[in-house]
Amino acid sequence: MNKLEFLTRLRNNLERGGLPSDDINDALSYYEEVFLDAGFGKEEETAAAMGSPEDVAVNILRESGIHVGGAPVMPPQRMGGPQGQAQGHAMGGYVPPKKKASGGSIALGIVLGILTFPIWLPIVCVVVSLLFALIVVLISLVIAFFAAAIGLLIGGIVALTEFPAVGIMFLGAGLILTGLVILICKPAFSAVIPAIGRGIKSFCGWVVGLFKKGGKENA
Amino acid sequence: MGFSINAGLLDAMVLSIVQNNDTYGYEITQYLRKAVDISESTLYPVLRRLQKGEMLETYDKEFMGRNRRYYRITTKGNDSLEEYREEWRSHKKKIDSILLNEGAEYNEQT
Repeated sequence: MNKLEFLTRLRNNLERGGLPSDDINDALSYYEEVFLDAGFGKEEETAAAMGSPEDVAVNILRESGIHVGGAPVMPPQRMGGPQGQAQGHAMGGYVPPKKKASGGSIALGIVLGILTFPIWLPIVCVVVSLLFALIVVLISLVIAFFAAAIGLLIGGIVALTEFPAVGIMFLGAGLILTGLVILICKPAFSAVIPAIGRGIKSFCGWVVGLFKKGGKENA
Repeated sequence: MGFSINAGLLDAMVLSIVQNNDTYGYEITQYLRKAVDISESTLYPVLRRLQKGEMLETYDKEFMGRNRRYYRITTKGNDSLEEYREEWRSHKKKIDSILLNEGAEYNEQT
């Protein structure tokens, strides 16, 4: 093992152990200095004399009051002399702390979900209402355009008898508007409304999902 | 040779080495190796502990284009070292009385 490998493995293990970065840098500068003082050509020898970086890390973490137990991150290589072996048995290596949801944290999530009920319920209501309002606005816009078109057509037919020119203009405008409404609204209807519907559905699904996961996201 | 060195003794020895003159990690290890089988990785936690206990302080000194960390003993460290030495003297006397049959009149009573 050369200097770089030793120092990298040492850093990784110290980081996993949750040592503050100042302490990590202090330790690494010490070990780097040891390598430099030992001499350029003696990297392998120096690393071997110090034992595995995993054991060294356990030592440092222990001194900093960080509890270590279980198996080391990498299988320790006993290269040190009697020192390394004695330490290895005493230390037993260490495992990085794992994030795992215990039964307690799930229960806590549910309790938090219930307690924060006054906060998230209004938010859910507002989002659903906004999406619903969007659909209503779109539909009413379409209805308004349709009504205007039909109104113009009827008005045109009525006006045709008294003022033919005005009636023809009304009829033309009505037909143009009808065409536009059909042209624009058909794709809009077939795309936008199902999309909003899907939005509401997936939002509801997400909210339900929160509960199924024990309200973890709320926690 | 199987006498183990405990943490207190190691602390005292390091303090004594640094008291002689300011020095750096690698040299301290080489010094200690004259008496005990220790590695650089054993020394680091010791230095760290002494530093946190304000027995040692550090400063950086340029050496061949890089910084070398030197250790200097504090007044608190000096006081502590004197206590260690006193303790060691009495400890050594007791051990010798048994192991080397020294001070037989003292030994008879125990």
